[in-house]
Amino acid sequence: MSVPITEAATRTVVRAEGLTLGYRHRTLVRDLSFEIRSGEILGLVGPNGCGKTTLLRTILGLMKPIHGRIQRDSTLVVSYVPQRDRLDTILPITAFEVALMGRAARSGALQRPRGMDRDAARHALARVGVATLSEHLFRTLSGGQQQRVLLARALAAEPNVLVLDEPTAGMDVAGEAAVIEFLRGLNRTHGVTILIVTHVLSLVLNFATSIMLMGNGAILHGAVDEVLREDRLSELYGVPIHLGRVGGQRTLVVVSPGTLDV
Amino acid sequence: MFESSFMRVALLASIATSAPLSIIGVYLIIRRVVFLGLVLANAAAVGAAVAQIVGWPPEIASVVAAVATALGLALIPPPRRVSAESVIGWAYAAAAAATVLILAGTAAADADTLHLLYGNVLAVSPKHATALVLVALAVGVMHVLFGRRFLLITFDAEAAQVAGVHTRFWALCLNLSIGVAAAAAVHEIGALLTFSLLTLAPMASLLATRRMATTFAVSAAIGIAAVCGGLVAAFQLDLPPGPVSVAALVLTVPAAALVGRKKQG
Repeated sequence: MSVPITEAATRTVVRAEGLTLGYRHRTLVRDLSFEIRSGEILGLVGPNGCGKTTLLRTILGLMKPIHGRIQRDSTLVVSYVPQRDRLDTILPITAFEVALMGRAARSGALQRPRGMDRDAARHALARVGVATLSEHLFRTLSGGQQQRVLLARALAAEPNVLVLDEPTAGMDVAGEAAVIEFLRGLNRTHGVTILIVTHVLSLVLNFATSIMLMGNGAILHGAVDEVLREDRLSELYGVPIHLGRVGGQRTLVVVSPGTLDV
Repeated sequence: MFESSFMRVALLASIATSAPLSIIGVYLIIRRVVFLGLVLANAAAVGAAVAQIVGWPPEIASVVAAVATALGLALIPPPRRVSAESVIGWAYAAAAAATVLILAGTAAADADTLHLLYGNVLAVSPKHATALVLVALAVGVMHVLFGRRFLLITFDAEAAQVAGVHTRFWALCLNLSIGVAAAAAVHEIGALLTFSLLTLAPMASLLATRRMATTFAVSAAIGIAAVCGGLVAAFQLDLPPGPVSVAALVLTVPAAALVGRKKQG
């Protein structure tokens, strides 16, 4: 997290060349090449089933591409915040113990958590606003609280790159806004590269510095205003979509017939 | 009761089998792969059955069979269209059928099958009891040293892998430790009690406790109490120790559920 942004901006975090992604009998994406630069906030968006998770898993090294190659900067610390409902909550562990897991990879297999590891876990919980829940069992927390604890676990690792899969699922509007504001601050002050995957387009409209829009077997990657166009989105999602601005902020409205002029 | 040396050996063997099985069984429950315990216990029984036919040492054959099964289940990914649990179910059916079919050709088929299913802790030799203690110590040390890694891959293997933890290696180590402990136990206490210790003691503990460290400790205590209780009941009431221990473990589950509910309320 201590990478100065001026230095970070010159580095390539991930470089993909000629990627074909999918499964044995189903190809989702063909011949995809892109770069993710340090300090970038990249929103990976698209309709359900377009291959966002497959691309994310490939970027993270959890899946191999069918063809092509992907290079990651191995000197960077990458933290992953998965979808909360993918985790099993039988385990009787506290929020603090979950956050402490973020430090595990930094220490050897035989090493017990040190004072600095415990401090980092506590600090991470405090940063995402759940310090008071540290002794609560993870499984007893609400969806939004669990999501924050998982974010704390990722932060405890002091990452250079933060990858989030549907990070605001289960949160109310205020919780969603707080998390986005927190991530923006993390990017600005510490230069953390953020890759956020979501099916909620409006979440990344004013947050991402670049967008990767997936759908219909194609991917568009570029600045938000370049990639997100009304005609393109309307065709991709199959409903009329209107993009506008309110108070300098981008807005997105799914238009029902006759409502645009109201 | 414990003046007789065979009872002291049986007590030692009971503790040496029940403690490690009850502790590592916690991982089977929280990873939702309880039938892995059943498969490994039955794979060990297949090893012992084959050894009986060809004249190999049954303890070694049991360990080899259980370890091979653990390796196979850890390394071979399940087909995409069925769950990992289904493959484990298939492996259980295969192992259980193989044991009976292999032993069907022996002169004392029924007795051999019954022994592999229920075991007899009263018949454990001092040499075998020592081997069980060594296996228990090895498994115990492994879990004290690497328990954090096992919990890490159990809670969220993908995030651990992204962070640079060798999740497949640690999953393999965990399965191997379960395989070795189950194989060592099967020949002495039978497949049924081995499976019950791997699943019922941890299940009861998870229902009654709210902290990970307590869960492991209480699970071991339940396992030891049930098996030692079975031993005492067998001596006093002239009952087979294995089924008595299993019955005790079965009863701990609803009792633990009541304790857990009382704690919550």
